[in-house]
Amino acid sequence: MAASKITSRSTIISLLIGAVFVVLLGARINSLENYTFARVVQDFLNALTLGSLYALIALGYTMVYGIIRLINFAHGEIFMLGSYFAFYAMTLTPLPWAISLLVTIILGGTVLLVLRSLFNLEEPKRTFALSLIIFGGTFFLLTFRKLGWVEGLTLSMLATGVAGVLLEAIAYKPLRGAPRESMLITAIAASFFLQNFGQLVFGARVRGFNAQTILNKPLNFHIGPETVYFTGILVVVPLITALLLWVLNLFVSRTRLGKAMRATAQDAEVAQMMGVNVNQVIALTFFIGSILAAAAGVMYAIRFGQIHPLMGLMPGIKAFTAAVIGGIGSLPGAVLGGLLLGFIEIYVVSLFPTLSAYKDVFAFVLLILILLFRPSGLVGEDLTEKV
Amino acid sequence: MRKSLLLAVLVILGSFAFAQVKIGVNLELSGRFAAIGNQTLNGIKVAHMQMPKVLGQEVQLVICDDETTREGSIACAQRFVNEGVVGVLGAISSSMSIPAAEVLQDAGIIMISTSSTNPQTTQIGDYIFRMAYTDDFQGKLAAAYVVKDLGAKRVAIFRQIDDDYSYGLAGFFDATAKKLGAKTLVQDYVANTVDFTAQLNNIRGFKPDAIYYSGFCAEGAPFMKQLREQGFTQQVVGADASDDPQCPEGAGAAFDGWIFTGFATPNLIPDPEAKKRAEAFKAKYFATIKNAKPGDFNGFVLAGADSYNVLVAAIKKAGTTDVKAVRDALANMEHYPGVSGDITYKGTDGTPKDRTIGFYQYKVKSANDWKKIELFGKSTAEVQ
Repeated sequence: MAASKITSRSTIISLLIGAVFVVLLGARINSLENYTFARVVQDFLNALTLGSLYALIALGYTMVYGIIRLINFAHGEIFMLGSYFAFYAMTLTPLPWAISLLVTIILGGTVLLVLRSLFNLEEPKRTFALSLIIFGGTFFLLTFRKLGWVEGLTLSMLATGVAGVLLEAIAYKPLRGAPRESMLITAIAASFFLQNFGQLVFGARVRGFNAQTILNKPLNFHIGPETVYFTGILVVVPLITALLLWVLNLFVSRTRLGKAMRATAQDAEVAQMMGVNVNQVIALTFFIGSILAAAAGVMYAIRFGQIHPLMGLMPGIKAFTAAVIGGIGSLPGAVLGGLLLGFIEIYVVSLFPTLSAYKDVFAFVLLILILLFRPSGLVGEDLTEKV
Repeated sequence: MRKSLLLAVLVILGSFAFAQVKIGVNLELSGRFAAIGNQTLNGIKVAHMQMPKVLGQEVQLVICDDETTREGSIACAQRFVNEGVVGVLGAISSSMSIPAAEVLQDAGIIMISTSSTNPQTTQIGDYIFRMAYTDDFQGKLAAAYVVKDLGAKRVAIFRQIDDDYSYGLAGFFDATAKKLGAKTLVQDYVANTVDFTAQLNNIRGFKPDAIYYSGFCAEGAPFMKQLREQGFTQQVVGADASDDPQCPEGAGAAFDGWIFTGFATPNLIPDPEAKKRAEAFKAKYFATIKNAKPGDFNGFVLAGADSYNVLVAAIKKAGTTDVKAVRDALANMEHYPGVSGDITYKGTDGTPKDRTIGFYQYKVKSANDWKKIELFGKSTAEVQ
């Protein structure tokens, strides 16, 4: 009873603060010359795209935190790996069949092993069918033609998901039960390791990600005399984000494994006593989080056109901020935080052009304000769905 | 600990066995400016191969990678102080050169920045030299070109606010452009910015005739991609930081047409004697560096080579490896025949008197198919 009173009061306060902001923004837009409706629309589209990307990355942070209370600082690097996997899949194909076979066996084998351990594939028939699909599919994709962005995205998501599971198995699993600080430091170490590993293996140079896809085609439209500059990626990013969110939500709320995840998030020990395989749930969480990060990485690369081994640093920190703003541990919170951050970054530059270099400052000031007034984040109070 | 002890013993034994002159090399070999850093290193290496000895002693290059961070650059400088080098070559960028220069000036070690152009760098002290022109010159030339030759009345300027070079250069450009009667609008961004859409939306209302970009390629590539996507067709002019293969390779066809000022390549050096030397060095470079691509040879290579050449020449002239004597020889150097042109430090703050800036344009078909076209060269002497 008391809790709900506090909730309603804080809701009213946030609504009031929100209303004040909207009025201030309206006044500001009015006072800016040249800030036409077409430019408002343009900014909105850009912000939605950027915010969706942050949201996808933020989900990985929030899910892992929800399950094992770990801030996985290496998540930004998982995002980087995702874009590199897609880059290689899209530029090196078609591979000669011998190399393709080798890659298929290594990659397919790892993927299959990980998938088997994640989804309880005991039944031999199903396992056989799955391995046929994975080995055959990978070999087919790599050998016969140059891959487009959809195949690149799919392959990269699978491979990155597996990389996330391996990261968990190698770096975090041995520390289960150790003090939380140890895990945190390990996460930072893993982040540095992956950055330097990337520089060594992929090269330190910036690479162009110039996939000439349908996504880069201009689809400009007019509002009055002015043009809104529009490319396919501006629709595809929010759409793919929404699709992945919908699937994730179904998975968490409707499946047995999703239920196990929610149980583990509430209380890992009790869940284990009830027969939930906690190790499997944790691995699965890393798998899903990494898949989402890979999707973000590939779309980020298509949108901004370049990749490099340190590219995960800033988006990683921003997405972490987004997760905390939304309420770390909460899925809708991560999405809300990501979108909010994207909108702030774009609109601060538009509405206060002289402050354009300080757009990150605004994001972090917002973080401080929210932590002051709502320490558990925008929607972090509700602890029921904390995966 | 034991390993470093062993190393120390080896170094001491080694120095007894063959007397060596040590020269430190502090460059951005990884990180954001890795491409330019490695080009400069190749220039230094080829120059070293041509002149491996001075005063009858072997010259040993001690190479240190500052990873394109200020902390890394300071760490490299401190390492050179401990190792007792005569002088340090590098770093390439102003942001890494200035912190290293402060350490080396305090320790009394010569530093020759290969391509730092911020005026502040050599004003840190009397031990600090450079191989480049300064940004007031570069900014002035670029502004005159944009306003007079391109006829731009309104210029949008993009500067990286957290970089000494980019910020300073944009300021010089802005001042000259205004003096010549153009209107300007400055937009700021920070390192690692990839989303320029809001800044681009801002300059839309300003309706610029040309755009000046004083930053680096890591941000320049996504900048150009978005600029063209958002329907801007104006001429973009950049500076020597865009003389980096990461620009056309990062942005692909969007980078086509980009004009920039940079260190002069052999063809653009006006002095015929200097041009001959540069051509000879270029031939030597391609004979020595295995699988060097044509696009890899640029003014940074020449600047790297000359930083080594002048230091060795100063040691020769001083007749000793005593740092103070070598510094005096360097500060009084007149008309050294360098591969990047004539080098005179006498009467300057450590910036060579006569330098040439080249104007170039990128022709980019795709990330793997691009070339630089040499437009024309202007020397410092000609302008002042």
